[in-house]
Amino acid sequence: MKKTLSYIVAGALALSLTACSNPLDEDKNSITVYAGRSESLVQPLIDSFQEETGIQVEVRYAGSAELAAQLLEEGQNSPADVFFAQDAGALGAVSKAGLLIQLPDSILEKVPASYSAADGSWIGVSGRVRVLNYNPQRVSQLPQSVFDLAQPEWKGRVGIAPTNASFQAFVTAMQVIEGDAKTLQWLEAMKENAVLYEKNSAILEAVESGAIDAGLINHYYWFARGQEVGFENLTSKIGQFASGDVGNLINAAGVGIVADSKAARQFVEYLLSETGQRYFADQTSEYPLIDGVTAPVDLTPLAEIPAPAIDLNDLDRLDQTLDLIRAAGLI
Amino acid sequence: MRKAPALVVVLGVFAALVTTVPIGYLAVRLIQGWQAALAEILRFRTLELLGNTGLLVLAVTASALVIGFSQAWLTTKTNVVFAAGFAVSAALPLAIPSYVMALSYISIFNGLSGFFAAWLVLTLATSPLVFLAVTAALARLDSSSEEVARTLGLGKLQVLLKVTWPQVRTAATASGLLVALYVLGEFGAIALLRYDTFTRAIYNAYRGSFDRTSAAALAVVLLLITLLVIWFERKYRGEYVASKKQLGKKLRVDLGIWRLPAALWLGLIAIFSTALPIASLVIWSIQGSANLDLGVLLDALWGSVQLAGLAGIGIGIFGTAIALWSIRYRSRLGQIVEWSSWSIHAVPAIVVGLALVFFGANVTPWIYQTSWLLLIAYLILFLPNALAGLATPIAQVPVLLEEVSQSLGVPANKSMARVVLPIALPGIVAAVSLVGLTVLKELPATLLLRPSSLNTLATRLWGATEDLAYSQAAPYALLLVIIAGLPALALNLQARRALSEVRS
Repeated sequence: MKKTLSYIVAGALALSLTACSNPLDEDKNSITVYAGRSESLVQPLIDSFQEETGIQVEVRYAGSAELAAQLLEEGQNSPADVFFAQDAGALGAVSKAGLLIQLPDSILEKVPASYSAADGSWIGVSGRVRVLNYNPQRVSQLPQSVFDLAQPEWKGRVGIAPTNASFQAFVTAMQVIEGDAKTLQWLEAMKENAVLYEKNSAILEAVESGAIDAGLINHYYWFARGQEVGFENLTSKIGQFASGDVGNLINAAGVGIVADSKAARQFVEYLLSETGQRYFADQTSEYPLIDGVTAPVDLTPLAEIPAPAIDLNDLDRLDQTLDLIRAAGLI
Repeated sequence: MRKAPALVVVLGVFAALVTTVPIGYLAVRLIQGWQAALAEILRFRTLELLGNTGLLVLAVTASALVIGFSQAWLTTKTNVVFAAGFAVSAALPLAIPSYVMALSYISIFNGLSGFFAAWLVLTLATSPLVFLAVTAALARLDSSSEEVARTLGLGKLQVLLKVTWPQVRTAATASGLLVALYVLGEFGAIALLRYDTFTRAIYNAYRGSFDRTSAAALAVVLLLITLLVIWFERKYRGEYVASKKQLGKKLRVDLGIWRLPAALWLGLIAIFSTALPIASLVIWSIQGSANLDLGVLLDALWGSVQLAGLAGIGIGIFGTAIALWSIRYRSRLGQIVEWSSWSIHAVPAIVVGLALVFFGANVTPWIYQTSWLLLIAYLILFLPNALAGLATPIAQVPVLLEEVSQSLGVPANKSMARVVLPIALPGIVAAVSLVGLTVLKELPATLLLRPSSLNTLATRLWGATEDLAYSQAAPYALLLVIIAGLPALALNLQARRALSEVRS
């Protein structure tokens, strides 16, 4: 069984290698996209792409991590042409398995290099900022640093989501900037202090309802909630830490090509077009990443976010991050 | 020893082969990274998870047995008030997916989490399995031995413990096994309620670190625990024995002064297991109905019904073949096939799903991302649910009838088809409904394996909660509960059928 399987895999590999050496598939008129972002968000944009280009797009919606696991299991036989993921970690895992092609420079140069993979295997589509979500009645003075949350005064008051990809990416950034020892110390303090949640949305819910006083989330959850119930009805606010603090990390959702074709490239280009970028900025309050498209007015411009200096490409050491989070007993 | 019909053997062997796909997949993953796998298993955390998981499994199984048995006994064998109504509410939670139950509890009791929360929600979600199995066994029970015991001077409680319980023990422990395996493989509710078990660790290994070796290592430990649980259950429950007798008359116990407390007990359970979650779903649904796209809802409904129907019938056919083989022919191979179907039952759906992704994409691409592969996943995941429901009706067809039929010159295989199956048919239909309703609620494997354009109520529900809009998820959840409620109610009627036949 295993032998047959390896023959089949080897055969498939050989086939796909020959496919790679062929010139770009110009005539392909339908593509399959694995989308880790939600259908209600992405589908309208894909519909207008289909209308404008006549290219048929079949979309498979699931969680980014599940789709990454699916791509890894499918290997070279994946039916996917494009992987559009919620976070850099999922793209990194697929890229490390050698399943993403290197994007052409014409695409890569659209976005500042700090929002894409170093090897050019995926490119950032929209940006998000880590923020402190807090209840202003309970938190009168914002902490200066995310490390302040390790103080005993925060015991039982702050929410984190240790299994969530954005939280883990933030911990990786902390490791890169502050080192393993300091990060582990902070995580251990959070094991004492923090209330644990599964998702950002659950943290926001808990801060809104008063179950906890503050939580670490991505900025757009708060904006989405405000749009759903009206900003005037929100109890909580969002704020940043002091300048350069790792708690203000900027991260990106991105896209990579699994099977190269003109249609797949067109799709990626569409996400990075002015239409695509404006759509994300308007719909999700995320940050557009190309020049010339500005964020919605109520959003602090990306350049003014007191973000830490870090290369996003360094956020691909999730294994070590997980070891630390586990060592601290948080997952 | 009689030989099983060829069709039965072919169906049974096919089902067994299919269940080896996930096992083979786990083997491939472990062989590729056995050192990392060993390191993963030999960590202190594994022990911690083992403790957590074991505690939850034991606690939920014990409480589900107590609740389910008490509901079944009170509503079928005693003069408790509103017996029929309480029976309906005891079966209904089966229609509520455990993640929906967890969501509604979180929405009512803010910040509910940890062991107690997981225990409460899973007990409420699984006790209908015990209730239905025990009700069916009690309703078909011959009361003559109970009457004899009464005339010999045994008290009501002693009759219950010494005469009634031993006769339904097989059905009760078999349903207890389903409960235990359900808890072992459960993810959604446990993640929402933040209690750490093996299954949650397996999901996190995939989702947090794309670490397929660690996930496989943990899944193998889970598989071994499953085998241990099955072994215990087999040792304790005794054998299904093909019945020799026809149904006799029924005896009802007069509860006396306990009539009111008994009704209060049943009422209390009904409030927690049915009234609270459904009330919270209805309230959300009203809030969320404004943004609802009816076309999307109907499309998802059609997808759900189609899949559940096909899977129910398909699994029913395979299950009937295996149950016939292992109970009425008692062959060694038949029993191995039955064991192999059970062994994989607690392995989390994401592992079965990814195993079939691996197999489907690389070995059988022609069925990959079609409904066929998804139906095979359901077969692997839910065949044991069918087997648990099928064993009793197939065992209870009197052997005598089959012998009479053969003495009249009907060949053995035809007797099976003309005598045994028709008599067991109501029980088979009940098992099919149970499987159908379980398929309706399934999510992780459906997301991984469905054709990209196919949506079900469960996948829409997932999509809506991903968008963090619980109110928009509620209408899907409510419709799911209503649709799954139909087979749940049918199961309840079916289980109580023998009862009403005698009473009327």
